[in-house]
Amino acid sequence: MTFTLTLSPADLLLMLPELFLTVWLCVVLIIDFSMPRFPKRNLAYLSVLGLAVVLANLVWYDRAGVTGTLFNHMFVLDRMAIFFKIFIVVSTILVILASIDYVKRFKFFKGEYYFLVLMSALGMMFMASANDLLSIFITLEFSTFGFYVLVAYLREDPASNEAGLKFFILGVFAAGLLAYGISLVYGETGKIVLSDIASAPATPGLIIGYLLIFAALGFKIGAAPFHSWIPDTYHGAPTPVTAFLSIAPKGAAFAILLRLFFISLAAFKPAWVLLLVLTSILSMTYGNIVAIAQKNIKRLLAYSGIAQIGNVLIGLAAGTKMGSDAILFYLLTYLFANLGAFAIVIAVGNLINSDEIEDYNGLNRRSPFLAFAMLVFLLSLAGVPPLAGFIGKLYIFVAAIKEGLYTLIIVGLVNVVISIYYYLVVVKKMYINEPVDNSPLVVSAPMQAVIYASLAGTLILGIYPQPVIDWVVGATMMFSHIVAPTVAVVPPIIGG
Amino acid sequence: MDYILLVILFAPFLGAIGLIFVPNRQALQVRLVAALSAGICFVASWIMFFSFDPAKGGYQFVQRYEWSKELGIAFYLGVDGVGVPLVLASSILLFAGIFISWHIKDRTKEFYIFLLILAAATIGVFMSLDLFFLYFFYEMSVIPMYLLLGVWGSHTKGYLAMTDPEGLKQRDSVGFIFNFASNSKEYAAMKLTLFLSAGAVLALMGILLIYKLSGLNTFDIVALKQHTHFEGPVGTLIWLLIFFGFASIAPIWPLHSWSPVGHAAAPAATSMLHAGVLMKLGHFSIIRVCFEIMPDLTRQLMPIAAVLCIFSIIYGGLAAFYAKDTKYVIGYSSSSHMGYVFLGMAALDYISLSGAIIYMFAHAMATGMLFAMAGWVYDQTHTRDIPSLGGLINRMPFVSGCFIVACMASVGMPGTVNFIAEVMILVGAWHKYPFQVFVAVVGIVLTMGYLFRMMRGLFYGPMDEHYAHAHDAVSMVDRFPLLLMIACSIGFFFFPLHFYDVVRAGVDPLIARIIEVVPIVSHAGGIAPGGGPLP
Repeated sequence: MTFTLTLSPADLLLMLPELFLTVWLCVVLIIDFSMPRFPKRNLAYLSVLGLAVVLANLVWYDRAGVTGTLFNHMFVLDRMAIFFKIFIVVSTILVILASIDYVKRFKFFKGEYYFLVLMSALGMMFMASANDLLSIFITLEFSTFGFYVLVAYLREDPASNEAGLKFFILGVFAAGLLAYGISLVYGETGKIVLSDIASAPATPGLIIGYLLIFAALGFKIGAAPFHSWIPDTYHGAPTPVTAFLSIAPKGAAFAILLRLFFISLAAFKPAWVLLLVLTSILSMTYGNIVAIAQKNIKRLLAYSGIAQIGNVLIGLAAGTKMGSDAILFYLLTYLFANLGAFAIVIAVGNLINSDEIEDYNGLNRRSPFLAFAMLVFLLSLAGVPPLAGFIGKLYIFVAAIKEGLYTLIIVGLVNVVISIYYYLVVVKKMYINEPVDNSPLVVSAPMQAVIYASLAGTLILGIYPQPVIDWVVGATMMFSHIVAPTVAVVPPIIGG
Repeated sequence: MDYILLVILFAPFLGAIGLIFVPNRQALQVRLVAALSAGICFVASWIMFFSFDPAKGGYQFVQRYEWSKELGIAFYLGVDGVGVPLVLASSILLFAGIFISWHIKDRTKEFYIFLLILAAATIGVFMSLDLFFLYFFYEMSVIPMYLLLGVWGSHTKGYLAMTDPEGLKQRDSVGFIFNFASNSKEYAAMKLTLFLSAGAVLALMGILLIYKLSGLNTFDIVALKQHTHFEGPVGTLIWLLIFFGFASIAPIWPLHSWSPVGHAAAPAATSMLHAGVLMKLGHFSIIRVCFEIMPDLTRQLMPIAAVLCIFSIIYGGLAAFYAKDTKYVIGYSSSSHMGYVFLGMAALDYISLSGAIIYMFAHAMATGMLFAMAGWVYDQTHTRDIPSLGGLINRMPFVSGCFIVACMASVGMPGTVNFIAEVMILVGAWHKYPFQVFVAVVGIVLTMGYLFRMMRGLFYGPMDEHYAHAHDAVSMVDRFPLLLMIACSIGFFFFPLHFYDVVRAGVDPLIARIIEVVPIVSHAGGIAPGGGPLP
């Protein structure tokens, strides 16, 4: 294969957000080690400033309709890539703001923390644009390296070390699967660009290759049965890292999954629907049932996250343009609700130094604001109107019922009821139980900003989602050509 | 006038949002803001009631805003003769409930916020002409109930006295919702929420199937009503999903078990709204979805309700007879009385369905009064145990007087609107279900039995010295809500004409569509192709 590379400065403009972020994270790193007196808190604001510029840049590209491909289709900038980049940048901004108080706990490398977060964000932004097998592998690993370090950042804490080790070993294992899968697919087709390999006939090697790739990506999003790293890693990692890990990589991995399933595998839809249905049912049911027994709020959110990913997979199983819209919308609702919930876990953890659900007793008396915000986020995760999560779930279910995935919807609805139970148990602790210690809790300003932003997102997406629906519908326009609308299934009816 | 529904719906919502900005310590301000928003809602509902034109019929004060084109959802509001009385009842009970809970001291602000959201969501269901928003408001009304019960509710007698340390531990264990022995408020709240959410997702499954099989890509009830026709096994399945999904809140036997427990645990104003209007969400939604969209199946399947209502009436009545807790008596009596509504609906007759709708309004007033006064007695004596109470008429003559009126209303004595409603149900259902009518009459006798027994137990006989400090509802704030509900109950007995016309305007087209025999066209799909008119 010949590989000619012609790049004009105009082409490079497509990568402007990434290039700017690369420069900016070097700036952050240089300031950190060349100016030891520079307050670490200001490094956070500096990082947020850089990300804000990137965000403005992305929004401008989205409005202006800037699209294109680079490096022989290795890197693609389309509206869906822009959507996921905005998703990642917004979550990174919120995570950095939520980390400011937490970073004081680290004994070493306080400045590098922000550098690593930015580096992971950069990797994930590339993931959103990955359009061939090589760039999928490179970007996936690039984004994960930052996390390997971040998860084990609490050096003195054995739980954090354990989490880091588990995450690392399983992550490397998944990387091996991915590399092997990619090599099989490349060996069978001789092509690497996702749209080129779409026309290949199904051979055993190709099928195994795709299954391996799916397993590696399933590890990334934490879908059952590839979820085993999630609870311990979430539990042991520093909470802001957990928050980051629970949202941004999942969004980026869904960008790849969408491209893989809807472009490369569009022709094999009947074959993979069953795979996704089973994964989704397993994730939802396992996550929700195990979440009931959790005593630690981070573990509870970890298992609920597995279940939420099961919900997102319903949209992938639908395999239609509407399914992809629903996935994008659902991920946004998940971003605000989950990040908001983690922000409160961070705030409460900073104040009372505990993540046990038992210690949330009487939170409403100690800080009505925190308790109310947590109530909103948990109910949004449970899918209760008028919050964002409800619209997200409904969107997914509507997309699935149009494809006649009745079993999946029944399981999904039963799981909604189960999830209401364990979220309400937390609500019960916060509102009904009496606190042991009555002292009021005061939340710092950046943390308040994060919580208010998440509240606003959760409420606005729930009450007036139409602008965002328009946006996601526009972002997935490319799938309207690729995935042919399936013929409506006529239900078997006897008599009349 | 066109915007009257928006005023009724959003006044409590905006009140709740406004309350967030009132400082918690200013309890009086909090109450005044709540009363103001409920008052606007109250006045606007009366204006809506009187300006509803029965001669015109159909849906009135219609508001329609496109909400999401992709999903086919519109924010579509409108009331017909079925919705008007229920919106009115909700706003009356909300306004009364604000004053009933005037003395709540613990977290006053949050209490009023959740109460206003609960009432507004309930009102929203009664006005929705879009299946999505019907479900939206329905599910939205369930969650505030959890907090209202859990935080401001009370434990049942004997619960706190349980000294068994394991009993206390079980409260926090994973399985505490299955711990049927403990009648704690946490248990009641969780049971209620899970029952209603489970019912709601059943109904949602049905709604999604309607959405899919109609092929119209819309949740619009009016469009679905005109362009779809459901029959066959799949239609039956949808009908059953929706019927039992919504009937669990109604509550029909055997899905009623959350209801008395929930009533007993709830604070007075919440019990009022809960028994007064929240339970009617079930009947209303069944009328709105099953009766409107699937008239043929309703004709075929409504006998299910006619059978189950027998058990509701008798079981609820007997359980109320043996209950020793004031709120349990009223709670079981409510479950029993909801059987009458099902009977009125099942008969599919102009008179009986109108009676059922008037009965919903009448029952809201009567049971609202009963719960308000049971709450008053509890606040004064801190017990709901009937055998340990007695002789309170000496301490609280006004409340006792009101209680007697409320019992009369609940029994259906002439002089209250309940009488009209009961007679209409019984007369209308007689041709079709004589046995059920007989059972219903027995139920009235039972109602007399347990209500008068409770009245005697609370207000007559010797008084325990413990309760000598109990005092009457003296101030206007305390008396006003009781007088308001009594006035509505008696007023509509003497001036029922406009009320009756309004209800008939809603019922007539419904029943006409159901009893009109549509020629059955068989086709492969079992469902008429979307877009075409009725065959």
